[in-house]
Amino acid sequence: MAGRGRGKVSSSSLTHDQLQALGINRGDNTPQVLAPPPLFPKLEAKPLPLNCDAATDYMVIVKDQFIEYLHESPAYVKANTRTDGIERYSDKYKLLALDAKKGKILNCIWDNMPPELRPHAGRVCVTARKRKLNDPTDIAKRLQTLEKKETQESADVDMETTEANIKKENEDNEEELEDEQEPEEEIDDGTDYANNYFDNGEDYEDEDDNLDDGPVY
Amino acid sequence: MSHQLGRIVSQILHRYFGEIVQNVGYDLFIYGSKSINMIVKTTGLPRTRIVDSLRTLLKFDLATFESTDVFVNYKLLPENILLLIRYPRYLLQMKSKYGSEAEMLVEELLQQASCSATVLIVTVMNKYKDDKEKNINMINLKDTFISLVTAGYIQQAPVAELNEGSEAPILVPVETKVPELDLRDLMQAMANNLADVKDNTYWKVNYDRFHLDFRDDLMIKAITRRIDENAGELMRLLLEQMYLTMAPWAAESCPVPAVELRESARRLADRPLLQQHVDQYLRVIEESGGEFVRRCGDAGGGQYAVCARRAAERLLEALLDHCVTERLGSKAHRIFRLIRSKKYIEEEDIQKNAMLPNKECKELTYKLLEEHFISVQPMRKAASAGGTAKAIYLYHVKIHEVAHTVREMCYRALHNVISVGAHMRQSHARLLDKQRRVRSIVHGMRVRGEPQDNIDDVLETLTPPELAAVSAAEAKLRTLAAAEIELDRALFILTCYFAYPR
Repeated sequence: MAGRGRGKVSSSSLTHDQLQALGINRGDNTPQVLAPPPLFPKLEAKPLPLNCDAATDYMVIVKDQFIEYLHESPAYVKANTRTDGIERYSDKYKLLALDAKKGKILNCIWDNMPPELRPHAGRVCVTARKRKLNDPTDIAKRLQTLEKKETQESADVDMETTEANIKKENEDNEEELEDEQEPEEEIDDGTDYANNYFDNGEDYEDEDDNLDDGPVY
Repeated sequence: MSHQLGRIVSQILHRYFGEIVQNVGYDLFIYGSKSINMIVKTTGLPRTRIVDSLRTLLKFDLATFESTDVFVNYKLLPENILLLIRYPRYLLQMKSKYGSEAEMLVEELLQQASCSATVLIVTVMNKYKDDKEKNINMINLKDTFISLVTAGYIQQAPVAELNEGSEAPILVPVETKVPELDLRDLMQAMANNLADVKDNTYWKVNYDRFHLDFRDDLMIKAITRRIDENAGELMRLLLEQMYLTMAPWAAESCPVPAVELRESARRLADRPLLQQHVDQYLRVIEESGGEFVRRCGDAGGGQYAVCARRAAERLLEALLDHCVTERLGSKAHRIFRLIRSKKYIEEEDIQKNAMLPNKECKELTYKLLEEHFISVQPMRKAASAGGTAKAIYLYHVKIHEVAHTVREMCYRALHNVISVGAHMRQSHARLLDKQRRVRSIVHGMRVRGEPQDNIDDVLETLTPPELAAVSAAEAKLRTLAAAEIELDRALFILTCYFAYPR
């Protein structure tokens, strides 16, 4: 009995009694409003006036100053503006202002930053060396040439050829390096401080691809 | 981590650091923690720009990073971004409490985010050395800096530690030691180039210390308004005693014997009334001071503890009351208060106790329910005899949830205020710019001492209609800025409440 009663109540909406208890009478049903509510509804009560004393004025001024300072500082990151090819008289001044800002880098404590954010050249060499050693075929090749060098030590002519080989190989390596740097230059747009430094993310991409192929068992 | 928080955070970033930082910040907000490559992918911005924005975010402590073995993940700190709005209040606090030198130092430090003591003092010195009004000197600046460090307003920035295997540093917070600055070194640094200075201890502003100050001010002000100034002074003494023994954000302080309070009150020469009636004042604060202070023992002439958590709750309740009154009127406020004091109450009882006409009372109750100020708990009578199982609807106030609701409201209002301000600034950009230029030209002419006629000529380039438009826009902008500051005050009370774990 009890279960049935409960089921009945939960299945239907509120009963007449309950509705009346909630304060809704028969005539009270308002016609449905189908229009969306207004975007800016009218305020029912007027908000209190804000107290404007000297302290508030001071804070407003300080806030504006701080925002202005940030906008002038290199912390405010701007996109590189593209010109539409029309020369204007004001361009000269705009460019001057831009150049003044461009050279500045944000003054941070670089030790506290992750390495990928530091404006620092010279790390490329480290990665390049690492890459050479990591590549097993490269090592094998190098060993082979050295072996050859040892066996044919007596013959000077041969020696020269091996040297040429090594040179050629070095060039190859450099070419490889350049290849790797090319996409990065496309991304970098003109700023030179970060040019040679960043890992262009190719490693990451490669790994990602491998992962997509499925795990290695 | 709500939708409204995301909106306001991105809006603030846009105002302070521009569109690109806003995009990067919002991206980080949505995804939680991300590496550079992922940001490049989702935002489609050039990598150098993203690096720039991350530098900005990290510098101002608006984001953190965490290195896994492969790459570094960045994470946004929305709470710190909201603090950007509070910066003017910090400066006001400094100016009123420690004078303009402290203000200059903190302002410079907030602008630099973190820098070494030498650089800080020398930059401030260089900035204001031509200013005759300020009349600052190195010795005073140095002493102010040291006293600020001692008082905890400035703390040492975390130090990078390299861990094995990865190149990304880990930031470890260090204990602040009061520095010993040599005046001669400072003078030398002033004379030479700043870049040569080798000072590797970096400092930054300790927001938490300011927040403690604000909280204490709130509590003292509340007691002062409720009782009188002497009681407020006694509250200050109680808080001072609390700092001596407990962690500042402790929920309840150690009991303070009344004897000690009497002794410290005796030291206040300008309050004879308080000296005479310490016991009476303590009793009044305890009984009608909004439960800020609790008597917890009779030893030593009575022992009193400051209930900081309860105080935060009471302050929050006052804020909620105010919110309800301003939104739905004083009758709704009466219902709200009634429900809160009765804990759980049936609808009929609300009508009886609130002494309002039946229909109006119901309407207001449902409105409160609709705006999430109160909640309803249906209780079914198990196995009722009749066919219609009658349910009881119990109304109650879930303070924690209502606090969340009000916080969302604040975020939304803040977002509206800032975006309206930005829109206004944009639509009047040309006029505002012109006005600023005229002002700077006139200032320059005054300095050079040119005749008044010429100055008037320049001033007249702003036509009367333009002047009217500009001043109207400026007045509106000022109102909006004041509203922003008020909203931040409300937000502070809310964060104060959330600072104490339930």
